[in-house]
Amino acid sequence: MANMRSKINEIYALEQLSGGDSAVHRRHPLVKLVSAFVYIVLVVSFGRTEFLRLAPFVFYPVVLMALSETPWRIVLGRMALALPFVIVAGASNIIFDRATAFTIGGIAVSFGTVSFFSILYRTFLCVTAVLLLVAVTPFAQLTDQLRRMHVPDVFVTLFEMIYRYIGVLLDEASTMYTAYMLRSTEHRGLQMAHMGSFVGQLLIRSYDRAERVYAAMKCRGYGGAARRGARRKLQPADYAYLALTCLPFILLRLVDAAAVFERLF
Amino acid sequence: MIEIMNLTVVYPDGTKAVDDVSLTIRDGERVALVGANGAGKTSLLLALVGVLPLTSGTVSADGLELSKKTLSDIRRKVGMVFQNPDDQLFMPMIADDVAFGPRNYGLGEEETARRVDGALDMLGISHLKNRSSLKLSGGEKRMAAIATVLTMEPSALLFDEPTAFLDPKARRGLIGVLKKLGQSQVIATHDLTFAEEVCSRTILLKQGRIYADGDPKILFRDEKLMDDCGIEAIM
Repeated sequence: MANMRSKINEIYALEQLSGGDSAVHRRHPLVKLVSAFVYIVLVVSFGRTEFLRLAPFVFYPVVLMALSETPWRIVLGRMALALPFVIVAGASNIIFDRATAFTIGGIAVSFGTVSFFSILYRTFLCVTAVLLLVAVTPFAQLTDQLRRMHVPDVFVTLFEMIYRYIGVLLDEASTMYTAYMLRSTEHRGLQMAHMGSFVGQLLIRSYDRAERVYAAMKCRGYGGAARRGARRKLQPADYAYLALTCLPFILLRLVDAAAVFERLF
Repeated sequence: MIEIMNLTVVYPDGTKAVDDVSLTIRDGERVALVGANGAGKTSLLLALVGVLPLTSGTVSADGLELSKKTLSDIRRKVGMVFQNPDDQLFMPMIADDVAFGPRNYGLGEEETARRVDGALDMLGISHLKNRSSLKLSGGEKRMAAIATVLTMEPSALLFDEPTAFLDPKARRGLIGVLKKLGQSQVIATHDLTFAEEVCSRTILLKQGRIYADGDPKILFRDEKLMDDCGIEAIM
């Protein structure tokens, strides 16, 4: 029960940070979205073995985290949720691509291993960039901006609804699980024999609760159609943010900094 | 002002939740809706904001009659505070929840921010602005739920069991807040001492119909009347 409650808190922990007032928080949502998008595209565009060239890209999340005063524990904690999927996906590279890429102290390192760590590192960079975007931009501003960028309304609304109702579902599950455990003689968790009725009840209760939440939304003017907030003008500081977060990384993508450095010295 | 004329609400299964109710709530008046479970209190409130469809009769707020066309305007004029604040607080942060109404009504961010700060300040919960509702106490949630409605600057407020989930201190705080608000208020409640302290008028409901309408100080002490409605009188 406490675990489930803490999961609900975890889900919304990052969003609570978005109400901050740092220089990054104050930037226009458009530049934050574009900056994160450009960064992710650049990270993904590298070849699977260009591990060293990707190294400087770690500065983006590190600097943003410092400037926005985002606690790294929260970001890394949520980042860890993606790891199992990436490890499973990346492990196949180690198995199938065994050609030697280089040797370290007589030990051959395969292209598959390099590729595995490259996938791991790139996932870390991309997921962290998205988590930071959420941590420094209020959810309503984010979805408003997505609509302004002509992302289909149905996708944005779906995204909003899933986001809102996941808390409702977990909350109902948590309450039911507590009631179940308090009357369970063995205290060993949910038994298979009760799983069907538990899940069925959870569905019905969540549906009922979702109806009440929707009624409350309707009472405050929600009609299914998205309403946009007032258009916010881009300030010089927004352009500066965009330039500072995009240009260095575009340059690092176009120019092999290590090779240039080698040639110079 | 809210005017209800011959209002009837029938559920799809044939249950008559509200039966031929006619009622006028004057500007600034605080009215308690009292009745046993299933008497039709919540159904009546939900019908007033068009969440439940009217089977027959009319409802109007400030002269505007409730219809599909006017639904949005009516909901702006009449704010509903639900029984369970968790149903009303669904955004990641209280500030977003409180801003939800003004944003839906297309108000600018500056005006929305002004209203959000004003409502939170008035209820003394400015410190909750950037908190998640998941971490609030029952009393704090209740205040936040009221703030979500106040930002729409309605002329009337509907409360469904506002003292549910509250401890005595939070209940006392709520009484102070409700007395401070200038809007007309319709409060569905089982809490008779609360209703007596806050409201100048009480409507007793029985099986969806108005059974009595009068001063709570008199009605709540009428043992026979209260017993007929399935409620325990104040001794």
